[in-house]
Amino acid sequence: MAVIDTLRSRRLWLGALSIATVFAVYIWITNQPDNNPALLPPISDILASFKTNLTSGSLLTALGASLFRIAMGFFIGTTLALIVGCLVGWYKTVEYLLDPLIEALRPIPPLAYIPIIIIWFGIGEFSRVLIITIACFMVCVVNVIAGMKNVPQVYVDAASTMGASRFQVFRTVAVPAATPFIITGYRIALAAAWTTLVASELLAAQNGLGFLLQEGRRYFLTDQVMMIIVIIGGCAFIMDRVFRKIQAHLMQWSEARE
Amino acid sequence: MPEIIVDNLTHTFGKGEPGALTVLDKINLTFESGSFNSIIGTSGCGKSTLLKMMAGLFTPSDGQMTLDGEVIEATDRRRGMVFQQDAVFPWMTVAKNISYGPRLRGASRSEQSEVEAKWTEMVGLKGFEDRWPRELSGGMRKRVDIGRVYANDPDVLLMDEPFGALDAQTKERMQSDLLKTWQKTKKTVVFVTHDIEEAIFLSDKIIVLSSRPGRVHHIEEVSLPRPRNDEMRLTEEFLAIKRRLWGMLDH
Repeated sequence: MAVIDTLRSRRLWLGALSIATVFAVYIWITNQPDNNPALLPPISDILASFKTNLTSGSLLTALGASLFRIAMGFFIGTTLALIVGCLVGWYKTVEYLLDPLIEALRPIPPLAYIPIIIIWFGIGEFSRVLIITIACFMVCVVNVIAGMKNVPQVYVDAASTMGASRFQVFRTVAVPAATPFIITGYRIALAAAWTTLVASELLAAQNGLGFLLQEGRRYFLTDQVMMIIVIIGGCAFIMDRVFRKIQAHLMQWSEARE
Repeated sequence: MPEIIVDNLTHTFGKGEPGALTVLDKINLTFESGSFNSIIGTSGCGKSTLLKMMAGLFTPSDGQMTLDGEVIEATDRRRGMVFQQDAVFPWMTVAKNISYGPRLRGASRSEQSEVEAKWTEMVGLKGFEDRWPRELSGGMRKRVDIGRVYANDPDVLLMDEPFGALDAQTKERMQSDLLKTWQKTKKTVVFVTHDIEEAIFLSDKIIVLSSRPGRVHHIEEVSLPRPRNDEMRLTEEFLAIKRRLWGMLDH
């Protein structure tokens, strides 16, 4: 236990160190006499922008709108990916039917759909959620399929010789054996949700974090842009940490729990 | 009574194609109910293939196998199998692995606990019920495997070099323990191995397969008394059989 504790504390320590270094370098640069604060605003300006946006309520409104889009897109996208991925990965007929389609669509960046989505559905909330849904689905489904295809044959044989039906093998063996892949798919989908969120809001939104970024650019509020970047990084980081906790809990059985 | 008959069975991989490989050629065998049988042969003689066909994991290209007169066509809980590889489900605790079979058939919580208690005890894993397989040694995981198949109550036990990956001492202990369990339940066992001593120690009957294609080369009836113990491994009778079989496997 002592060894694990030192490892863990060293990990925290070094992680904090790298973040602190970036801050220190940033502060040092912004303190140089020839620094242009319009390009690199000092930390005090960024904090001031945070305070203004917080008290005016615009930050919380934006955060709420963005989190809602993330939650919807992530939930719908990963749920569809789980269903489609399990079917494609487990049933040969479905695989032959859908796999070429998924492989053909896979290299297309989700943002490439934006023009056609705007033409079809306008620039409303539905379109923004749809883009995030597509992004989450595409990255997640590939992992779910890989997970189902990597189920060791000996587990399948063991279950069948104990009398499990094809569906029972699927439910009691294939899905649990594929969980490590599935969870990884969910985590990548979450990251994809954040990247496409900002892009979709940059293009067409009246609120949200991406909108505040756009507004900051338009009115040359570099401090606001910086502040939003930090908020997005922080939110994505916290969500990923929560996800890792869930992962560690679900993967208690696994040799590789991290 | 559950008796297995292998009737003129031939298996060719890639039949009808160039480079087709016949691994088993006109095999005729009878495994009597409640007997312990071993199949030995050098690697590539098709012994594992034969066993997997008995389990119903794939179908022979010619001939058939029957259990109590019923043709074996697909997997069935009546024919349980212990694999060479580790087949314990890592996402289930020891107890959940043991009660997997009954759970498939909708056994109640109390029936499951009963099975778990009985078979963790029988295979010597009492006290490890709530452990994850990753916390167990290779030998203990094999015990889980065997307990899980027994707890499923099949008529026939098919074992494919189950102790192949274990060290010599663990292997001998596992063999003695397997015989004890077998003596209590008297299920028909077909045990595949390339270890001559293991086959003699365990079996009533040893089938020697020749290599490429696999044919029945010799059938050895082992009349060592039961229950068997480790001292028997050094008796004249044991060593005589060992010498005889050794010569057969050599060519």
